[in-house]
Amino acid sequence: MEENSNLTAERSLEIIRESIERSQRTITRNSALPMIWWGVCVVIFSFIIAYLWNNHGGPAWNALWAVMWLVGYVGNWMIDKKNETVPTTFVGKSISYVWTTFGIFCGGIGFMFCFIGNGILPLELIMPKVYAFGCITSVISLCFGMGTTITGLIIRNRIIQVCGLIAGLGGFFCALHFPGHEQLYVMAAVAVIGLVVPGVLIQLQNQK
Amino acid sequence: MFQPLDPLLHSELRLAIMSLLISADEAEFPYIKEQTGATAGNLSVQVDKLSAAGYIEVEKTFKGKRPCTICRVTDDGRKAFEAYVKALSSYLKVK
Repeated sequence: MEENSNLTAERSLEIIRESIERSQRTITRNSALPMIWWGVCVVIFSFIIAYLWNNHGGPAWNALWAVMWLVGYVGNWMIDKKNETVPTTFVGKSISYVWTTFGIFCGGIGFMFCFIGNGILPLELIMPKVYAFGCITSVISLCFGMGTTITGLIIRNRIIQVCGLIAGLGGFFCALHFPGHEQLYVMAAVAVIGLVVPGVLIQLQNQK
Repeated sequence: MFQPLDPLLHSELRLAIMSLLISADEAEFPYIKEQTGATAGNLSVQVDKLSAAGYIEVEKTFKGKRPCTICRVTDDGRKAFEAYVKALSSYLKVK
């Protein structure tokens, strides 16, 4: 692009539109690997925790989710370092706020259940015993789906929007049927549909 | 009636720089260079012009041991850009 002051109104508008769209495309491109990474983390930890819960001591193994956040964060930081530098935009900040809010809410719920599961807090504090471990995956799946759908709406990507809807609503109702360790398989499926599939599709689009 | 267009913004490269910065809090010089496809020399001249007009502020800092130039739009620049887009719409309405 060179110095040129003989611009038509249409060309000026085109430059403004192109510039804004280009930065949005960069953000979409950069979101593929973190989505795949976090999705794979959730799937792996879901299977590990489900196995341990079923064979070695019950739901207390859910505390391992804290390790997943740590592993996920370190991996995400490494991916960010490798990705091309993107300036902080309103779109980027909005996506970051959505997932930070998701993390805070799900982390908060997880910690409450962890304290209750270990007897630090009384179960009656939040709900009758029968629901105590039946609902958490439903709620987290719903939050998950909402986070993915909102991300899709912000970056105007139809694939992500649809995957978020399927993961959120599907996970919410499916998890209600599985009060035990099986709910973690629902969590893994939610992660595949809500993160891995849209991430892989975006990555494939980038390579075209 | 046509509204006058700000001559400082009515240039392909300067308009592209402002459009990139308007949607970002700040951007580094290499990013702007890559996105606009301009040469470093030309870009530097245009950034200086925008900076001299008070439309953007330029911060020269270091990223590790490497020098790093960060550009961000000022309030005056934001107002000027808004006025430019508004003036632009008067040309489009007539057509």
